[in-house]
Amino acid sequence: MEYAVETFSLTKIFSDWWGRRRVYAVDDLNLKIKFNEVFGLLGPNGSGKTTTLKMLLGLLHPTKGKSLCLGADATDPKISARIGFLPEESYLYRYLNARETLDFYGRLFRLNRGVRKARIEALLDMVGLNAVANRPVGTFSKGMARRIGLAQALINDPDLLILDEPTTGLDPIGTRQIKDLIIKLAQRGKTILLCSHLLADVEDVCDRIAILYGGKIQAEGKVTDLLQQTNKRQITTGAISDEAIEKIRQVVREENAECEVASPMDKLETFFINTVATAQQHSKQTSGAVSTTKLGEFLVAGPVTENILDKLASTPLSQQSLVKALPTDPTTHLKSAVAQPDKQLLSELTQPPKPPEPVKADKGIDTNPVVTRVPQAKDDIKKDILDQLTSRSELQKELPGHKQEGEAGESGDA
Amino acid sequence: MKVALIFILLLLILLPTMALTGTGDNTLKGRLQTFVSYGLSLTSLLLCLLTLIVAVYTVTSDIKQRQIYTVITKPIRRSQFLLGKLLGVLLLSLALLALFSGLIYAIVIYTPHYFDWSEDELIEADNEFFTARKALAPPEPDVTKEVAQALQRLVVSGDMDQIYKGMSETKINALQEIIAAGDVARIYKTMANTPVVKELTNVTRLAKRSADVSRQLLWEFQNVRPRDPNGSLFIQCKFHVSVTPPDSEVYSQWLFGDYRAYQYGTAVKIPPLTLRRKDPVKTLREIEVPANLVADDGYFAVAFLNDPMNSTPIIFQDGIKLLYKADTFTANFIRATLVIFCRLVFLACLGIFTGTFLSFPVAMLFCIVIFFTAAVSGFVIESFDYLGENMFVFYSWTIKLLVGLLPQFDKYGPSNYLVPAELLSWSVVGRVALYMVCIQSLLLLIVGLIVFSFRELARIII
Repeated sequence: MEYAVETFSLTKIFSDWWGRRRVYAVDDLNLKIKFNEVFGLLGPNGSGKTTTLKMLLGLLHPTKGKSLCLGADATDPKISARIGFLPEESYLYRYLNARETLDFYGRLFRLNRGVRKARIEALLDMVGLNAVANRPVGTFSKGMARRIGLAQALINDPDLLILDEPTTGLDPIGTRQIKDLIIKLAQRGKTILLCSHLLADVEDVCDRIAILYGGKIQAEGKVTDLLQQTNKRQITTGAISDEAIEKIRQVVREENAECEVASPMDKLETFFINTVATAQQHSKQTSGAVSTTKLGEFLVAGPVTENILDKLASTPLSQQSLVKALPTDPTTHLKSAVAQPDKQLLSELTQPPKPPEPVKADKGIDTNPVVTRVPQAKDDIKKDILDQLTSRSELQKELPGHKQEGEAGESGDA
Repeated sequence: MKVALIFILLLLILLPTMALTGTGDNTLKGRLQTFVSYGLSLTSLLLCLLTLIVAVYTVTSDIKQRQIYTVITKPIRRSQFLLGKLLGVLLLSLALLALFSGLIYAIVIYTPHYFDWSEDELIEADNEFFTARKALAPPEPDVTKEVAQALQRLVVSGDMDQIYKGMSETKINALQEIIAAGDVARIYKTMANTPVVKELTNVTRLAKRSADVSRQLLWEFQNVRPRDPNGSLFIQCKFHVSVTPPDSEVYSQWLFGDYRAYQYGTAVKIPPLTLRRKDPVKTLREIEVPANLVADDGYFAVAFLNDPMNSTPIIFQDGIKLLYKADTFTANFIRATLVIFCRLVFLACLGIFTGTFLSFPVAMLFCIVIFFTAAVSGFVIESFDYLGENMFVFYSWTIKLLVGLLPQFDKYGPSNYLVPAELLSWSVVGRVALYMVCIQSLLLLIVGLIVFSFRELARIII
C-alpha cells in the first residue's frame, strides 16, 4: 500500500436519457497521492474535480477504470471509517440542531458516548457554532452550514480527508482556520485531498497540485517546483536607508541584472483577521458564527481513545499539547469543559516519572501494526515520544519558554 | 413532515366526532357497529397512506436533497441504510396504530356507559357485538350429479346454442365429436368450467336452498365447539321470497339440535328444540338458541320448514350461518389491529422498494395504484370469473396473475370481522402475516436492497 489515493485510468462519461455518451467528465485519470500529502485538485468549473471525488467515494460508478482509497474500495466500511468527506455543499438534515447533527454522524461511526460528546464540543468550539448549537441547521446561513459540514467530516478524526471546495461560503477567518487545520492535520500524518478553484487557498497549504481541465490532468507536481521562478531572486529586508538601497542596486548592476524596490503590502487576509480579532477582544455581539481560530483539541492533540499508548503514539505535536494541558496556560480556560478530563489524563501521564514507560511505548508500537498511522510518520512519532518521555523533567522547567512556540492556530485567542 | 401532523390531527378530530354523531340504527349495537366500521376503516386508510408517503419520502428525499452523500460515505452499508429507514417507518406506524386503535377501543368500551341504554339493548350489544363469534357455514352440497343430468337433458333437447355459449371453436368441435359418440360421462368432463355448467351449478345450488310451502330444508354442522356450553348459539339468515306477503313477513318452523334423534332414532341427552317464528323478509335475522343443544361430538343440525301458513316459496339466497362465542371482543380487536399492521408493513416495504429507484411523485403514484388495487383485489379477482372463456384465459394469465401477487386487503378487512362480531382467528392472522409480511414484503425488500446496492446515487443524466 504505497499510496493513500490511487486511480487507474479512471473515466466517467455522462450519458443522456437515451444512453448516448455525451460528456467526458473525467478522462483516463491516473492520480497517485502519497500518504501524509496535501494534494490539491484544481480546475475551472466543470473540469471533473467533483466527479473524481464522487467516484473515489463510490457515489458514482466509473465508466472505466478503478480507484483505491487507503488501499481498498472506499465503500468498504472498514475504509470509510477512516475517511472524512465534505461534499461541495453541506447537505444536512434541516430539523436537527447542530449538536444533534454531529451526534448523528458520530453514531454512524459507532463512536461511544464519551468520545462523541467530547469531540462534538471540541468541534463546535472549533467551528465557532457553540452559541447556536441548539438551533436547527435548516436555519443556518450557508457559511454556518459549511462549518457544520466541516465538523461532520472531522468527527471520526479521519486518516484521509476529502474536501470538496472547503472554503466556499466561508469568511476569511473561516478560510484561514481551514488552512491552519489542514496544515496541522498534515503534520499529524494525515492525508488530505482537496479540490478548489480558489488558487490562493491551495497555494498556501498544498504540497502537490494537479490542474484538471476537460477531465484530464494538464499539469501536476510540487507547488514549489511549479511556481518557483528560478530566474529571479527576492530579498526582503528591514526598513533600511536609501543609501543602502543604492549600494544594493550597485551590486545588482554589477551582476548585469535589474532590481525593483518597493515596500511589501500586508495581505488583506491578515489585515481582516487582525481587525476582527480586535473587535472580538472588545466583545462585540454577533448573531452569526463566532469566528475563532481555535482548532479542535482532539484533531490537533490526537484522538480521544482509551488506549494510552495509542494516544501517545498519535501525538506528534505532543510538546505543544503538554503546554496546553498545564493549568497555568492562559489559553486553557477558553477550551470547553468537556475536553478537560482528556487533558488531565495527559498531564497525569506525563508528570510523574515512570521509568518503564518508554519500553512499553516502544513495544506497543512494534507489536501492534494495527495502529493505522502511516509508515513515514511512525519514526517521527516514536522519536517524538521518546524525546518527550526522556526529557520530561527539562520540559517542565522550560514550560514558560514553550508557550511562545504555541501553534499558529492559537494566535487568535491571545 | 407536516403531512403526518395533518393526518394525526384529522384522526384525532374525526374519531371522537364520529363516535358522537354516528348513530347507526339508533340501537346501541348499531351505533357501535357503525363507529367501529367507519373508525377502523378511516384509521386504516389514513395510516396506510401516511406509511406510504413517509416510506417513499424518507428514501427519495435523502437522495434528492443529497443528504445521502454524507451518510452513505460513512461506515455503513447501503442495506443498513435502507433497513434503518424501514425500521423508522415501522416504528412510527406502529406507534400511531397503537394510539388510534387504542382510542377506538376506549370509545367503544365507554359508549355503553355514556348514553342511557335499555337493558335489552345492553344484552343485545353484549351478545352480538362485545364478543368474538365463530361463524360456520354449512358445506355446499355436491350437485355434480344433478348438473350432469340437467346437461344431458339440454343435449337431448338439442338446444345447442345454449350449450355452446361462450366456448371456443376448437372446444365446440371436440364437444360435437363426444356428443356424436354419445359418451355422457365425458360430456360433463369436457364442459367443466364452461358458462353453461357454471350457470347450471348455481341454479341447482339455489334450488337446494329454497323450500316450497310445507317443504323442509336441513343443514348439518360438525365440530361446533362453543366457548361457554351454557351460552347461546346464533343462527343468521335472510328470508328471500318469490312473492312478498302483504305484511312482508313470513312464518317459519325451526328445529335445532341433534337431528339424528329423528333420522336414526338414536338416544340424545337433550331433545332438539322446536320454534315457530314470524320474521320480516329480506332483512338479516338472528335466532338465538341455547348452546347446550350441541351434541357431545360437536354435531348440530338446523332444520327449517316452510310453514303451511305461507303461500310463497322461501329462498335462503346466501345460505345460513351458525355463530357461537369463541373468544372475547378485546382479543378479536387486538388481532384486527395486527391485521392492519401487516398491511402497514407491506406498504412500508413497498414504499422503500419504490423509493430505491423512482423519484417521489412517480413512486407515490405507483404505490397508490398498488394500494388501491390491493384494496379491491378480491372484487377484481371475483369479476374475472364472470368473463367469457376466451377473455378469461387471457386475463387469468396476465392481470389476474399480477393481482394475485398483491395482498388482498379487502378479503381480510378488520371490519368484516368486528362488525358482525365474527371471530378473527389466529390462523387467519397467521396466514395474513405469512403472505403479506413474510413473503410479499420480504420479496419487495430483497429486490429493493439489490436495486439500491447497484444504484448510482449521484447519477447525472444530461
